[in-house]
Amino acid sequence: MVVTAVSPALPDLDEQQERILDAALALVARWGVAKTSLADVAREAGCSRATLYRAFPGGKRHLFAAVARRELAVAAAEVSAAFHDGDDLAESLTRALVVAARLLADHPARYVLDHEPELVLPYLGFGRIDALYDRAVATFGPVVATRVREARAAWLVEWAVRVFISYVTGPDPTFDLTDIDRTRSLVERFIVPAFAADVHP
Amino acid sequence: MADDVRTRILGATVDCLGRFGIAKTTVDDAAKAAGVSRATVYRYFPDGKDELLAAAIEAAVAGFFTELAVAVDDAPDLATLLERAIRVSHRMVEEHAVLQKVAETEPERLMPQLSQSAPLVKEAIGAYFAEKLAGVALRDGLTVAEAADWLARMGLSFVFGGGRWDLDDPVAVARLVREELLVAILAEPPGPAEPPDR
Repeated sequence: MVVTAVSPALPDLDEQQERILDAALALVARWGVAKTSLADVAREAGCSRATLYRAFPGGKRHLFAAVARRELAVAAAEVSAAFHDGDDLAESLTRALVVAARLLADHPARYVLDHEPELVLPYLGFGRIDALYDRAVATFGPVVATRVREARAAWLVEWAVRVFISYVTGPDPTFDLTDIDRTRSLVERFIVPAFAADVHP
Repeated sequence: MADDVRTRILGATVDCLGRFGIAKTTVDDAAKAAGVSRATVYRYFPDGKDELLAAAIEAAVAGFFTELAVAVDDAPDLATLLERAIRVSHRMVEEHAVLQKVAETEPERLMPQLSQSAPLVKEAIGAYFAEKLAGVALRDGLTVAEAADWLARMGLSFVFGGGRWDLDDPVAVARLVREELLVAILAEPPGPAEPPDR
């Protein structure tokens, strides 16, 4: 099935690890990363601290990196699937952006963005953002290449990510990315024109 | 007079950020570097380090964009102006020793500060482009405000990183501006770039 072939691989986690990550996420949604200790996570997950250390030997850093990795992989799969469901390029981009924006808006880890921006903003900064664009291209390039010729897919992914970051960090009531019609308007006016010649027949 | 002292303090503070970093810079450091007393610094920035820091970074950001505007303002047309803006701002960022150091060692302190300034910066850049768009034929239904906002958002985006675009390459930047950035807003395509001169 095309979607499975193009969507990013979900990390390999056993049930215990999944439970622990769910617990960590639930706590982060309430108190944020700084105030969540490994003891808290173990208690919430209903396991011993020893079990937690066995599952994530690298400590708090390892655990929260694993949470981020899993959540991003799940989100990437949903965004890819949304893109794939569109009838044409504008529709595909619109769905992908709206799903991404809604996932972000509703996510438990929203707390971190709202109250601990210093944990996330560095990834958008000088010297680091290019790595983020590269990851996005690696993740979404294949599914985007189902709509535009392959040589242009990477460039389109990068524009979409620039737009997403810009509107998520600097919201504009006229272009609310959680709103399908407004996002379609944005996509049709500002992103698609540069790629009109590259769409697969 | 008072303005001069305030400006001197802010400039000295930025120097300190380059020498000691954001976390370790103190009001005393700033006072010493500016050649004024601690009391003087507190007179201008009663809330102390946090206020001083925010003001210093805000002033540095304003200074950056003022310098950039001066460097590109005599461009003969919008496309050339945008090309210069992207290339010059990229160079300015690369050559800004304090910015490079702090971005490398303390991004978790720098980025929240920058995101505080971001809305006002975007508005100012948008206003600048709105002026430059006067008399330019835009795509059907697009307002000057919308076109200016697009240029401001994407312009800022390229200040933070070039992504797959080699911003040191005039040919690449010309393609970025003329074939992708402007195509979104202009009624007619801008045409090819002049031979690169800077």
